[in-house]
Amino acid sequence: MSASQAEVVTYPEPIEKALAQITTLLKGSYGLSPRTVALLLLQDDPEMHDLVKEREGSTYQTIAAIIDRTRETLREPVDEAVPVARQQKIAAIAAAAVTETAPAGAALADRISRLMMNPWTGTPLLLLVLYFGLYKFVGGFGAGTVVDFLESTVFDAHVNPWVNRLVDTYVPWAAIRELLAHDYGIITLGLRYAVAIVLPLVGAFFFVFAIIEDSGYLPRLAMLIDRVFKMIGLSGRAVIPMTLGFGCDTMATLVSRILETRRERIIATLLLALAIPCSAQLGVILALLAGRPAAVLVWAGVIALVFLFVGWLAAQILPDERPTFYMEVPPLRLPRLTNVLIKTYTRMRMYFLEILPLFVLASVLIWLGEMTGLFAALVQAVAPVVRAIGLPDQAAVAFLFGFFRRDYGAAGLYDLYTAGQFDGVQLVVATVTLTLFVPCIAQFIVAIKERGARVAFGMFLFVLVFAFGTGYILNAVLRLLGVSL
Amino acid sequence: MGSPNAGKSALFHRLTGTYVTVSNYPGTTVEVSRGRAVIGGREVEVIDTPGLYSLLAITEEEKVTRRLLLEEGVDLIVHVVDAKNLERSLHLTLQLIEAGMRVVLVLNMLDEAARLGLTIDTARLARELNIPVVGTVATTGEGLDLLRQVIAENVRVAG
Repeated sequence: MSASQAEVVTYPEPIEKALAQITTLLKGSYGLSPRTVALLLLQDDPEMHDLVKEREGSTYQTIAAIIDRTRETLREPVDEAVPVARQQKIAAIAAAAVTETAPAGAALADRISRLMMNPWTGTPLLLLVLYFGLYKFVGGFGAGTVVDFLESTVFDAHVNPWVNRLVDTYVPWAAIRELLAHDYGIITLGLRYAVAIVLPLVGAFFFVFAIIEDSGYLPRLAMLIDRVFKMIGLSGRAVIPMTLGFGCDTMATLVSRILETRRERIIATLLLALAIPCSAQLGVILALLAGRPAAVLVWAGVIALVFLFVGWLAAQILPDERPTFYMEVPPLRLPRLTNVLIKTYTRMRMYFLEILPLFVLASVLIWLGEMTGLFAALVQAVAPVVRAIGLPDQAAVAFLFGFFRRDYGAAGLYDLYTAGQFDGVQLVVATVTLTLFVPCIAQFIVAIKERGARVAFGMFLFVLVFAFGTGYILNAVLRLLGVSL
Repeated sequence: MGSPNAGKSALFHRLTGTYVTVSNYPGTTVEVSRGRAVIGGREVEVIDTPGLYSLLAITEEEKVTRRLLLEEGVDLIVHVVDAKNLERSLHLTLQLIEAGMRVVLVLNMLDEAARLGLTIDTARLARELNIPVVGTVATTGEGLDLLRQVIAENVRVAG
């Protein structure tokens, strides 16, 4: 196989000459043919330069000289000449092996695709997708029907009273009784949050998201949003981590490494931590706001404003490297039901296995806190802040939960809401603050890993202050205007 | 390996039975997945990589893939391409051949290419490139048996 490699593509004369010279000089082994190593060197690949410098010692200077000389003799830059030569070869191959006939039936998909990307038709389409996919299905069906049934019928009416009675009868120690059941018990709180509130909502969301994902809608959305994103210093490519963030911010923070510039990665990580709610949180928030369209609008409006404002601000502060955008748009497809179901199931299972121990752990921690009085002290400490944004003291508990996991915090709010603790304004203030509020532990750890501790901690503080600041202003404005939502 | 959204993960799933999230979205795979498959009576390790357009790596994900290539001593590269974008994808194929790698070219999404009116003569392509070429539809499993056979014939015998 190695014998034929030299003849794959023939490059312009000066490049071929340089390749011949460099390949004879290379002594180290690189896992690639010498010809490729030489080509990468000629195209100024930094990693390869470092590698060669390290392995070839003083010969590197000779090689560098050859590269400089080649650059002078060649009329066009090397990194243009190389792909051009390759393209000629490819065109010849393709001409021999590919025949093209007029496409049949692709016209409709093509028209829909264009409608999706045109701002005038694409924006209403997006709103329709959001309304039916998220608000109606996740908020309406997932929250209204499924959660309601699991919460009130299964847990509140049957499981919890039964567990409480069982524990009261058979467990003689009050401490253990509290650990397993009652207000913050593993079964009555941790398991209930996981099974009855978060899982069905996340499941409904995953289902809708899988359909949207498989249809090929997301890249079109990226094209649509590209212009807005450029304004805030991100390329349309950043839509990928952003939209994935609605699935899971932790995963999205990881994916943000596909962004080309460090600046973009930092902005994206910040926006993910601040303004993009993850599926679990989004599901619960939609459930909280279901049936109050005005509240949904205020919530979405504030989050969108924050997103744009902070993105814009960050773009002003961070040094400019202009992002370029190139993304291919895959064809629209009818999602395969089996793939959608497998994907939903896989994600639900992964999610559930991930959260169950954490929710149980949270219950245990809270129980420990309760026993030692630490929990009460913390609630006391947070309560003034919570009161400052116009929320009842009990909401402090939900925010403390939120430190631990976004979804846990949201589930805590849901609990308060169903207990009739909030009016409309408080509900909106609470959901806005919690949406902006600090990322969950997993996301925070990934942020540290990907962006460095200094950046991550800075973001953490910023997000904390910003979330409560926004909540405070929003509450003040809404009260001042005397709106009831 | 292959460019983003060519169907690498779908194919990986077909070969190994290990599930990796498959989506119609370029750039979904950011980390390397490994799985085992029994092909031609032998157990082989199959590696699914993030997308790569060119050996001249730009983004972090592309660098990950290239480093893997350089450092792991891969026996056989299955270069998965979207048959609809054959011309653009061949850039990497040529680079891989040039780099002295053993390459099998997989033309995936052949069904969609056909719907666009593209007919690809795989035998001719194989002759032009001097490497094995297999056409597949990863979502339905079409062409997978042939691919397994070609992999079995071309994986370098250990040692």
